Amino acid sequence: MGQSDGEHEHEGNDLSADDSSWSDGVWSEDDNEESLSFEDSGEGSGSDGESDDAAAAEESDSSEDEVAPRNTVGDVPLEWYKDEEHIGYDIDGRKIRNVIGRGALKPTSGRQMMPRIESSRSVRGLGKGVSGKPYPRLCNARRPRLEPGTFWQRRRKIYDEYNDEEVQITKDEAKIISRLLKGKTPHTNVDPYPDYVDWFEYEDKGHPLSSAPEPKRRFVPSKWEQKKAVKLVRAIRNGWIKFDKPKEERNLYLLWGDETDTADNKRHGLSYIPPPKPKLPGHEESYNPSIEYIPSQEEIDSYQLMYEEDRLKFIPKRFESLRSVPAYEKALREGFDRCLDLYLCPRTRKKRINIDPESLKPKLPSKKDLRPYPKTCYLEFKGHTSPVKSISVEITGQWLASGSCDGTIRVWEVETGRCLKVWNVGGDVRHIAWNPSPDRPILAAVVGHDLLLINAEVGSEEMQMRVKDLLKIDEMAPQDDTDKKPAVRWMKHEKLDGITLIHQKAVSNVEWHYKGDYFTTVVPTGDTRAVLLHQLTKKHSHHPFRKLPGLPVAATFHPSQKMFFVATKKFVQVYDLQKAQLVKKLESGLREISSISIHPGGDNVIVGSKDGKLCWFDTDLSTRPYKTLKGFGLQVPS
Amino acid sequence: MPKHYRPAGKKKEGNAAKYITRTKAVNYLQVSLAIFRKLCILKGVFPRQPKKKVEGNHKTYYHTKDIAFLAHDPLIEKFREIKVHRRKVKKAVAKKNRDLADRLLNRPPTYKLDRLVLERYPTFVDALRDLDDCLTMVHLFAALPAVDGERVEVKRIHNCRRLSHEWQAYISRTHSLRKTFISVKGIYYQAEVQGQKITWLTPHALQQVLTDDVDFNVMLSFLEFYETLLGFVNFKLYHSINVNYPPILDPRLEALAAELYALCRYMSAGSRRMIGNSQSDEVMEDKDEKTKADGVIEEDKDVKNKASSKADESELRLAQLQHQLPTNEPGALMNLVEESTADDADDDDTKECKGLFKNLKFYLSREVPRESLLFIIPAFGGTVSWEGEGAPFKEEDEDTTHQIVDRPTQSHVFLSREYVQPQWVFDCVNARIILPTEGYLVGRVPPPHLSPFVDNDAEGYIPEYAETIKRLQAAARNEVLPLPGIGDEDLDNSLVAAMMDRTESNEAAEKKRKLEMLEKQYHDELKMEIDGVAFSSLSNKEGDKSPDAKDDTQSDREEDASKQEEKDDDDIGTALMSRRQRGLYKAMKMGKEKKKEKIELLKKRKKNTDSSASSKKRH
Repeated sequence: MGQSDGEHEHEGNDLSADDSSWSDGVWSEDDNEESLSFEDSGEGSGSDGESDDAAAAEESDSSEDEVAPRNTVGDVPLEWYKDEEHIGYDIDGRKIRNVIGRGALKPTSGRQMMPRIESSRSVRGLGKGVSGKPYPRLCNARRPRLEPGTFWQRRRKIYDEYNDEEVQITKDEAKIISRLLKGKTPHTNVDPYPDYVDWFEYEDKGHPLSSAPEPKRRFVPSKWEQKKAVKLVRAIRNGWIKFDKPKEERNLYLLWGDETDTADNKRHGLSYIPPPKPKLPGHEESYNPSIEYIPSQEEIDSYQLMYEEDRLKFIPKRFESLRSVPAYEKALREGFDRCLDLYLCPRTRKKRINIDPESLKPKLPSKKDLRPYPKTCYLEFKGHTSPVKSISVEITGQWLASGSCDGTIRVWEVETGRCLKVWNVGGDVRHIAWNPSPDRPILAAVVGHDLLLINAEVGSEEMQMRVKDLLKIDEMAPQDDTDKKPAVRWMKHEKLDGITLIHQKAVSNVEWHYKGDYFTTVVPTGDTRAVLLHQLTKKHSHHPFRKLPGLPVAATFHPSQKMFFVATKKFVQVYDLQKAQLVKKLESGLREISSISIHPGGDNVIVGSKDGKLCWFDTDLSTRPYKTLKGFGLQVPS
Repeated sequence: MPKHYRPAGKKKEGNAAKYITRTKAVNYLQVSLAIFRKLCILKGVFPRQPKKKVEGNHKTYYHTKDIAFLAHDPLIEKFREIKVHRRKVKKAVAKKNRDLADRLLNRPPTYKLDRLVLERYPTFVDALRDLDDCLTMVHLFAALPAVDGERVEVKRIHNCRRLSHEWQAYISRTHSLRKTFISVKGIYYQAEVQGQKITWLTPHALQQVLTDDVDFNVMLSFLEFYETLLGFVNFKLYHSINVNYPPILDPRLEALAAELYALCRYMSAGSRRMIGNSQSDEVMEDKDEKTKADGVIEEDKDVKNKASSKADESELRLAQLQHQLPTNEPGALMNLVEESTADDADDDDTKECKGLFKNLKFYLSREVPRESLLFIIPAFGGTVSWEGEGAPFKEEDEDTTHQIVDRPTQSHVFLSREYVQPQWVFDCVNARIILPTEGYLVGRVPPPHLSPFVDNDAEGYIPEYAETIKRLQAAARNEVLPLPGIGDEDLDNSLVAAMMDRTESNEAAEKKRKLEMLEKQYHDELKMEIDGVAFSSLSNKEGDKSPDAKDDTQSDREEDASKQEEKDDDDIGTALMSRRQRGLYKAMKMGKEKKKEKIELLKKRKKNTDSSASSKKRH
């Protein structure tokens, strides 16, 4: 510290020497620039004042604080005045002349009258730029000669923008500034850390601050400390506290020593479900798979379009050599996923069927075993010009009746294919049914809206006669005494020598009772008169059901018992005709029943639906279908 | 009334009683979820799928018995203790009681998992059955960077490394490695131990990056159990081949990161010493035993006993003998048996594996994956050395038959050896024959590396190289003449091979015939063209052929009909199936379709590449 102080002092001496040298010889020097500056600045009161004050300046080393501010125009850029004649007024009201460029506001003290020496090239350049002329010299004609000290002097010049002047800072001031910048005290002789002086010391003085006697507890050992110590000692003695680190021993031993004892070797508790083993890698996972395993760029791009679940988890890649294979970046992730699978996934045992899917199909008898069955077309009954809607075979099997859209009913001989008879009924024949009684060759046909009963004109003469009798009808005899409009009117069909049963709505279906006396018609849109029963001998008809659970689709008689089946859209209702009550309700589970058929034995019912399914009921077993066959694709019309 | 109303006092039944949701289980056990997880992992408790999910569909269900099983485990108490201990330390630190904190930290509560291992795997075979995940995990952690401050302790990584090396040493020593496969994910190995096929994956020997998307708590819990399990398994396995388990390794080799080699040497030395022991036992019983008994701990103890009480030496000697005979004799006998009639004891597979690289000497260059090759080559009976310190023989060794190199060019060539890429070793192992080295020479792109885990025939697509290998295998089998001493099986094998050969040749002949026919046709056509047969005459000829064409159409129609018939049959069959079965049937069909599609894609790609290659050649 002392040494540095010394240095400072030394510098200080140097400074003073410099100053003296300045004052002595340097100022007397002249040179070109100075003369130039004289020319530039021209004459004026300023120069006079300067010379006046020069002596005073030499004496006083005081700071500028004592000098009144020379700027009278205020805090505006002096640049604004560069084209003006003068810059404000001085205290006496005289104009302060504007010298071109800077330095118009001349310092009054001698310090400020020091010659201008540009601190740096840049400043000079700036000055030139502004004024457009060489830098003006406003000071007196003296200029310091360049000598060792001048560099520092140049460095210590600061331009005061407000007063438009350069301020020369002394070496001491510069030192103070640098110390302040470093965060030290401004003056070197200040000691920031003086030794602490305890002003309140009393020990040597013989007089304590408190005169109370020292308490006893300061002299006796603490009881609580002792207790604590005893506790610790006891803990250490008993081995509750141990200081040495426990030894790390790997106690591996023969865990599965004796494998013979089977009772002990069983896992207790619930059955263990081993986790499925991770999938073994295929060819595509190889670092160098065959080329065909590597997807093309287009395929890889197409993966991007897929849903994230569908995307491949692993895209095969090919490396030319083993050394170019990088570390697999998802190794940890995949290990972690496996861990999650192991402890988070619910496990169940599942039977994986590894069988040929064909073995799932039921074994069907081969077609060869089912032979003989018709394979080739034997006969073609040709004659109808429009689609045939319905056919019916006579009970003896000799005759076949067919109804078609071309408005004709034809009767064929089955064996020869000869068309026996053609009736032109003038309307679509939608359904046709042969009377099942062998001695009543009568055809019931749904023609347009109505039902037509005609004599088929087959069989012996006697039979023909009887049928003719049957089909004779009295004109409108019982019609009047019915209360309302009857459901059906029995009318004689003049042309075909048959009977027409005129219904109110369109008839869809006709079925005979097995004895051949009764028959039923179904009028789907007929509300309460949807299902009608007719008796041929009495020429009488009635509607047995006041109410039906849905639209009836078809109705038929039991082939041997007095039962009646009505198929609505979803169910098949079985009625006992004698007791006139519901016996059974078959639930088909189909959406839209379209037809019904009964096995001659009477126990098995087959129901077809419009959605292409077929239900087979065994009425003895249950009301649910014994079997449902699917997949016909088309509807089962009848 | 709610749907599942149960009158008060009536016990739950069925699924509601059998299964418990996770939240309820955690509440019941009075532990935190993290501890519950750890318990489940250690005890091997997993959620189950109840038939009816009483509490809702999106919940995890545990069996109540499983949860009771957890509740009765002492481990749960231990975990609570650990929690308390942690709290104590925290408190001591907060109170600035450094002493207490240090003391507590010195002795954290510990627990052992051996009981759990036995509980989960009552027999050794059970443990082997579930060893796949364990090995994969341990190998994965062995490949992690052992750096302080990472999320995994350095100590554990070293432990994993040690365990994995011990395992590999055993597999290599007993020649039970069966298949290897270099995949992008790492190298797969399959070994057969006690009839169990164990497959594991080791990452490539490169620095793994610890990613943030995994929960290390879960993984470390698993690892904790796996380390214990593998330790015990290794113990048992080493015990079975009469080697002391915590093996003491040559520190120099260990430092050179050649632990595996050190282990192998230790093992072979151990077994040799055992043989020596038993022989000396038999020959000179009354000689000083101090020299020979240093390896075996039990013997060590005995020796100490002897030193302490020399008074009744003879008595002790007797006791020692009695003690030693039952323990040592079977082992010694086994060793003797192994040495003399090793071939009889091993099954055919092991024999085959053991002799694959017999009489071959390998030298590994710097850049090849040393660890895996040091494991594989001895496992198949070869001798191996590597570049670096501690290697058993130098590069200049004259007997070296193969040098394994993985660089673009190899300058320094010894004429006596072949320079092959590492893939050759792996392919040889999978094919179980010494493959020709042409394709694998340095600087070439090796033939495709195929997975040995795929049953090509079942998959329906056989890569080209697989067929090549098959042919080579058949050829190799043919070459080997049935030795007089070998049993019927081998004869059968050779017969089968011959049969295969014949069929193959038949196929080849047929192919050739077809090709010839095609060629002939082509030539005929060419000739016709040259002769200048007019097109009209040709068409005339075709006209002559027209009856044939008609026949064709007829036959086509018949075919159509038969197809239609088949389709009808199908339809009828599906019509008669129950809904469940139909669904199953459809799913199966779909699966088959998918598989077919995949194969088609492969075939298409193959065709494309072939055609492009051929076109390139033409240009």
